[in-house]
Amino acid sequence: MSTPQPAGPGAPPDPPPGILARDLHRSFGTVRAVAGVDLTVRRGSVTALVGPNGSGKTTLLLILAGLLAPDHGSVLVAGADPGSSATARSRVGWMPDAFGTWDSLTAVEVLTTMAGAYRLPAGQGRARAWELLRTVHLDDLAAAPAHTLSRGQKQRLGMARALINSPEVLLLDEPASGLDPRSRIEMRSLLRGLAAAGTTVLISSHVLAELDEMVDDAVFLSRGRTVSSEQLRVGVTERRWRLRTLDGPALQRWASAARVTLHPDTDAPDGAGSVLVDLTDDAAAAALLAAAVGAGVPVVSLAPVSGRLEQAYLSLDTERR
Amino acid sequence: MTTFDVPLEPGHPLDPAPPGPDTSARAISWQGVRTIAVLELRQRIRSTRWRVALAVWFALVGLVSILIGGAFAALGGDPTWSFGLVLMFVLGLGLVVAPTLASTAINGDRNAGTLAILQVTLLSPADIAVGKLLAGWAAALAFLAVSLPFLIWSALLGGTTVAGFFLSIVVLALLLGVVCAIGLGFSALTARTAGSSVLTYVAVASLTVISLILFALTAPLVTTTEEVEVYGVSEEAMAGDQTYECETFTAQREVTHTERTWWLLAINPFVILADTGAQPGLDPRDSGPFEAIRSATNQVRSGPPDVHQECWLDSAPPPTVDDAAPIWPWGLAANLLLGAVGLAVAIRRLRVPYRTLPGGTRVA
Repeated sequence: MSTPQPAGPGAPPDPPPGILARDLHRSFGTVRAVAGVDLTVRRGSVTALVGPNGSGKTTLLLILAGLLAPDHGSVLVAGADPGSSATARSRVGWMPDAFGTWDSLTAVEVLTTMAGAYRLPAGQGRARAWELLRTVHLDDLAAAPAHTLSRGQKQRLGMARALINSPEVLLLDEPASGLDPRSRIEMRSLLRGLAAAGTTVLISSHVLAELDEMVDDAVFLSRGRTVSSEQLRVGVTERRWRLRTLDGPALQRWASAARVTLHPDTDAPDGAGSVLVDLTDDAAAAALLAAAVGAGVPVVSLAPVSGRLEQAYLSLDTERR
Repeated sequence: MTTFDVPLEPGHPLDPAPPGPDTSARAISWQGVRTIAVLELRQRIRSTRWRVALAVWFALVGLVSILIGGAFAALGGDPTWSFGLVLMFVLGLGLVVAPTLASTAINGDRNAGTLAILQVTLLSPADIAVGKLLAGWAAALAFLAVSLPFLIWSALLGGTTVAGFFLSIVVLALLLGVVCAIGLGFSALTARTAGSSVLTYVAVASLTVISLILFALTAPLVTTTEEVEVYGVSEEAMAGDQTYECETFTAQREVTHTERTWWLLAINPFVILADTGAQPGLDPRDSGPFEAIRSATNQVRSGPPDVHQECWLDSAPPPTVDDAAPIWPWGLAANLLLGAVGLAVAIRRLRVPYRTLPGGTRVA
């Protein structure tokens, strides 16, 4: 496996990416799990890794975590090769999709064990463990054996475990499954806070809506290859919004006068009172709303039909496996 | 004089990692080993089955020891047998329990999803393997420690020397560690915990029983008819009418060359322990089990004698016990080698990143 050279004096001035993967391939027997992944994750961003089942998300994360060697291609995570470098290991946090807990250990012991595994001195490890328990709101369960925790609590403990070494790059495989809505919101603010402090976060999930509000970028995988990577906060394309009104005919009259193209809403629960409209950005939505209300149309709501990710995902025309 | 001003590029980390192999995660470290060993022991100690097992063990060894001691007292026999019998019982029971202590350490963790999260840390494969081995061994030593009162009691009844007692305990402890290491190796090789447990028991059976059977079965293979030196009454002398007199002559005899197969006995943990506990210079015919096993093994090891004794005229000379060359260092070394192989296999199989995955396993 060849490793890219570190950025030389002639390198571009922007910071090196948190994760850089070039032309990754990995097969298991005849199954080509990863077949040509190119990935650049900006330092300090939260990036979604999106793809249907079997598209190679977990395999890709295993390669990035340094557990699987790629058959071909090169990886740099936090500036080092995860497969052969202790430096990369010390800078990466990984939370697998399915993981176990040491059943008879207490939550705080799980974290101090991990701290020891990262060679933190005992006192420092204990302090870090308690800090993280408070972060994921498990400090009142610190002395409870791990097997008594609920699924969502275990998931939060898993997140704390991945953060024990204060990683520069955080790899999360389906971290939100099993979390209640409140915990999801807390995870979102935790990840945004980490990203603001410079941590690079790569997060995979099936539930696009839960990623939508927290990610900056998205990488789409299909059949083991990257099909698209988008910077969602930059250059948002036209989105479809749903406009609901109490008076359908009045809306139609206003729309034809204002030359707004309306599409029939086939999914709407309340028939004629709901239509779809394509808008470029939030400002366009605000302007549309102001105009419609100003014209006396009794508008109930105007909201995006689907999340940005979902829209991007569906527009990819990926085939389901 | 020219000075070079090296500007720091903005945004670059001050400590850029040199991409490429660095060996710090490959070496073994005390902190890493201790982290794993403490983790494993904590899990073991907190399960209630563990305490029950120790209690059952204590009761079992105690019962057998008292029965052995009582039997000799009641029959008025020589109590020198008691230490040998109790030690053999503890070894036998230990060989039954030790495989369970480490033979699921790696594949069990892999199935439970708790192995990969350790492999991504700074722990080296050697840290994980040695930590798990130490934890399994410590558990085995706990069983040995529970049996110590009865071992000491039976040793006080007689049947061994002070040096023999301590040597036997140390060698027994090492043998239990070897079984743990073999189990660890199998747990790294197989995907299912049942498979590695069975393989470990097969390995223990091979060392103790199957080696014995093989030794017996290979006896015909190493038996040949040869011209050998015989000391006795020759056939010519028998045919003649002169007085019978023993002399040395050459004759055809069936000779079993056990010196070629003696190692099958030497690797047997029971033989090794008998050799360490035996009292030097005792007549094997009227002493304990250790001396009997030791003298038999020594005979087998030296193979056929240079001169076959067939003289029935003289009273037979007492069998000599060869104390000069103990067998146990050979046997112990062979066992330690097996354990080292098991440990090496485990370390090798724990190495990440995986290039090939063992059949039927997932990384995480």
